[in-house]
Amino acid sequence: MSAAADAPPADGPAPGRAWWRRLLSDPLALTSAVFLALVVLSAVAAPLIAPHDPFASSRSVMQPPVWTDTGSWAHPLGTDGQGRDMLSRSLYGTRLTLLIGVLSVGLGGVLGSILGLMAAFKSAIDPYVMRVVDVMLSFPAILLGLALVAVMGPGAWPVIVALAIATVPDCARIARSIAVSVMKQEYIEAGRAVGLSDAALFTRYLLRNAISSIMIFISLRFGQVILIGAALSYLGLGARPPVAELGMMAAQGRDFLLFAPHIAVIPSVLIFLIVLTANVLGDALRDVLDPRLRG
Amino acid sequence: MMTQVANRLLVSIPVLFGVLLLGFFLLILVPGDPAIVLAGPMATPEIVDAIRADMGLDRPVLIQFASYLGRVLQGDLGRSLISNKTVVSELAAAIGPTAELMLACLIWSIPLGIAMGTLAAVHRGRLIDRIIMAISVAGVSLPIFFICLILIQLVGVHWQLLPFIGRGGPLWTLEGLRHVALPALSLGAIFIGPVARMTRSSVLEVLKLDHVRTARAKGLSERRVILRHGLRNALIPVVTLVGLQAGYLLGGAVVTESIFSYPGLGRLAVGAILSSDFPLAQGAILILALAFILINMIVDILYALLDPRVQA
Repeated sequence: MSAAADAPPADGPAPGRAWWRRLLSDPLALTSAVFLALVVLSAVAAPLIAPHDPFASSRSVMQPPVWTDTGSWAHPLGTDGQGRDMLSRSLYGTRLTLLIGVLSVGLGGVLGSILGLMAAFKSAIDPYVMRVVDVMLSFPAILLGLALVAVMGPGAWPVIVALAIATVPDCARIARSIAVSVMKQEYIEAGRAVGLSDAALFTRYLLRNAISSIMIFISLRFGQVILIGAALSYLGLGARPPVAELGMMAAQGRDFLLFAPHIAVIPSVLIFLIVLTANVLGDALRDVLDPRLRG
Repeated sequence: MMTQVANRLLVSIPVLFGVLLLGFFLLILVPGDPAIVLAGPMATPEIVDAIRADMGLDRPVLIQFASYLGRVLQGDLGRSLISNKTVVSELAAAIGPTAELMLACLIWSIPLGIAMGTLAAVHRGRLIDRIIMAISVAGVSLPIFFICLILIQLVGVHWQLLPFIGRGGPLWTLEGLRHVALPALSLGAIFIGPVARMTRSSVLEVLKLDHVRTARAKGLSERRVILRHGLRNALIPVVTLVGLQAGYLLGGAVVTESIFSYPGLGRLAVGAILSSDFPLAQGAILILALAFILINMIVDILYALLDPRVQA
């Protein structure tokens, strides 16, 4: 935020320099942030810290986790139906689940923000952009996912592309509505008056003042995207073997629910915790950065 | 009012066109040559050529699209590659069960969500508000397949209270109700959260308004103030929410139907995609998109009816 010193203050309650300090003073948000950071770190470092090869089968099939009577430290989270180490698979699975979420929200968010901000900045293109956005909004994410998987075949990429496309119109609308109110501010007028170029006006004034609200939207969207991606993988339409993905791992465990519930429960609970902490953090971020959006 | 509806219908035209374009591309962009897929592995090149000419695949794309439009408008969506039944008859058989599932889900989750949201708003900031909001956040964070698996395991397998495979018949029969119960519980579980959240913020908004203060000043009981003057006006955004969340609900239905082997549109679509039955997949996606557009249209019109201010 220090580089923003020459930009005018954001519209509404100013985020202030120490917004993250206020964010982390909320114990729930702090816990969520720490948890998510740990999950992201361990997912990134999966190849370094995984105790076993996540794809190698062993003789010890359906071994329960260490906290049960028959568990052992050789496989802290037990093994799955093919004797593969659950801890290593969970680490790799989290890696792919997070990657799907980050890529689709990132791609869709950037594209949507650009569209929305441009629409507010250049009123000539506004009606055209918004008409396209309206049409795109008529395709729910799950239908786009199904359609793309039908054409491209099951896999992580069609899911990422579909979720990214589905994020574009929502993000464009949010970005536009924020940008429209920013464009009415006097400092935009002032910037124009002193002869700033459109590019400078766009990046230094508009983008910097709209970015925090867009970030809030994206953080709240992240959880939803992860859930849809995992559901598609669960159905066999998303990520497929040989890779590991949490939704797919839950699907592989459903046949053993009776004898070895941990195979389905561990990946499902991991998804739940990732989405829950992302949502809690998104809510807290909104309260700190932009209380006006509070629902 | 009429212009409102007419405008809404006009906006839907480009959307409908987009949906049809999507359906068309689903058919011509299939991996490999659709004529070869249709002809099967044993076909000679002559048969493939004949099928290609028969399907019009040798003609320009625009003409193919025009003839596709013509066929769809006449209700011809082709035949399933697997069952060889017409796609339309397969879809017709699946619409009813999906509508029943939706009904069975909404009928308990919306009232419960509204009740929870109102309770939270009235007791804002207190423990009960925090508990209800925590339940809502947890509800929107749970993967729906996990809810399904838990319900199947507990209610279906362990307690053996309810069946968890397929459909037992129409909703008004006991067997039909018993079979739809678990899928409707799973689907409703992910819907309570959004409804409760929306109701809470909407009630909080309305309780600040002048007419509520007047009602209090008149000496009406708090209960009457909240139910008659608060909740009633707060329900308008909740109606919109159901429309906005139709896509979310649809996604949940696709998963729920597949897990419970419930013979609705969602399972049909997933099954068709997994078995590379392109005409059926195209038909299922087309009809789901149409349903989504229709729901949003109805909600918009309902919104205008409920809120006189929108009519301007």
